[in-house]
Amino acid sequence: MNHTKGNNPDDKQLIDRILRGDTRAFGTIVKNTERLVTQILYKMIPVSEDRKDLAQDIYMKVFRSLPGFKFQSKISTWIAQITYNTCLSWIEKKKLYFPGNLQEEDDRSPVSHEAVYNMPRNSVETERILFQKEVSVILKKEIESLPPVYQTLIILFHNESMSYDELSQITGLPEGTIKSSLFRARKTLKENLLSKYQKEAL
Amino acid sequence: MNNSHPSEKEIQQWAADPSGSSPVMNSHMQSCAQCKAEAEIYRLLFSKIKQQPAEEFDFDLSEMVLSQLPKAKTRLSVDNLIAGFLLVFTCCCIAIPVWLFRQNILNMFSDIPPFFIYTIIGSTSIIFLVKIGSLYKKFQNQMRLLNYN
Repeated sequence: MNHTKGNNPDDKQLIDRILRGDTRAFGTIVKNTERLVTQILYKMIPVSEDRKDLAQDIYMKVFRSLPGFKFQSKISTWIAQITYNTCLSWIEKKKLYFPGNLQEEDDRSPVSHEAVYNMPRNSVETERILFQKEVSVILKKEIESLPPVYQTLIILFHNESMSYDELSQITGLPEGTIKSSLFRARKTLKENLLSKYQKEAL
Repeated sequence: MNNSHPSEKEIQQWAADPSGSSPVMNSHMQSCAQCKAEAEIYRLLFSKIKQQPAEEFDFDLSEMVLSQLPKAKTRLSVDNLIAGFLLVFTCCCIAIPVWLFRQNILNMFSDIPPFFIYTIIGSTSIIFLVKIGSLYKKFQNQMRLLNYN
């Protein structure tokens, strides 16, 4: 097994420095992974006050667990995994409703894009034009309306360019479930956006 | 409905990464306007998701985290210096008189008859063995109390 899987030598040096007592090196790790942690926190935790406490809690956990880090994944993936699990614990503790069943289901139904097949050609064109306009603003709201896990997967895959394997490591879900969840999340986004545009066009 | 069309999942995958699809899929996507249109919608969706601005905290996270970390112990802290000085001072207080009066200390023991030396060694050994025996007894009593069976 490659014990420095995905980690660049700088990460290893940084961790060595932290383990020797140089806490400033930990600041570099925080800066390098802050964006990723923030993305997950914003998608999983709806209460803004709690995000600050959780962010601090996550990095303290990372600092304490650093001597046990075996370099079997990228340091960023490992920190993202800690973040995701901390968020799940928070959701469980707060007993929040957690929609989004991640069970496998048949995604291969050809009926799913029947609506598009039946659309007149110019309707598809109109949608495309509309899609390019105010879509960013509406898309943000639509992403926020998805279940937290779907939001997290969408943002990590598309914005943070993470692979299915990395997403599987972070969430602890099988790759097949990740793919199905991503498919359903994208499909829901597409359908919600299309219905929104059609309503607005009326 | 044309059943030869690929599923929506396949279209999504093709829109995300055409190079990962089969040649049959690629040629269908090139020739079928409906599937191509749907793939185009997904591509736009993906590009718009990518353009979404990343969320940011309105405070310096790294500064906040670093302020919470335990301070690194420097090798030459004041506490360490004082402890080191006290250790050296204590050693000197013992070693210097022993060195200066070493002959007198040796003479002190050389004049003692062997009988007294054997008595001292014997009684010390007996006390030591009695202490060990009582400690072992105490240990066995405690183990018996813990043995719930």
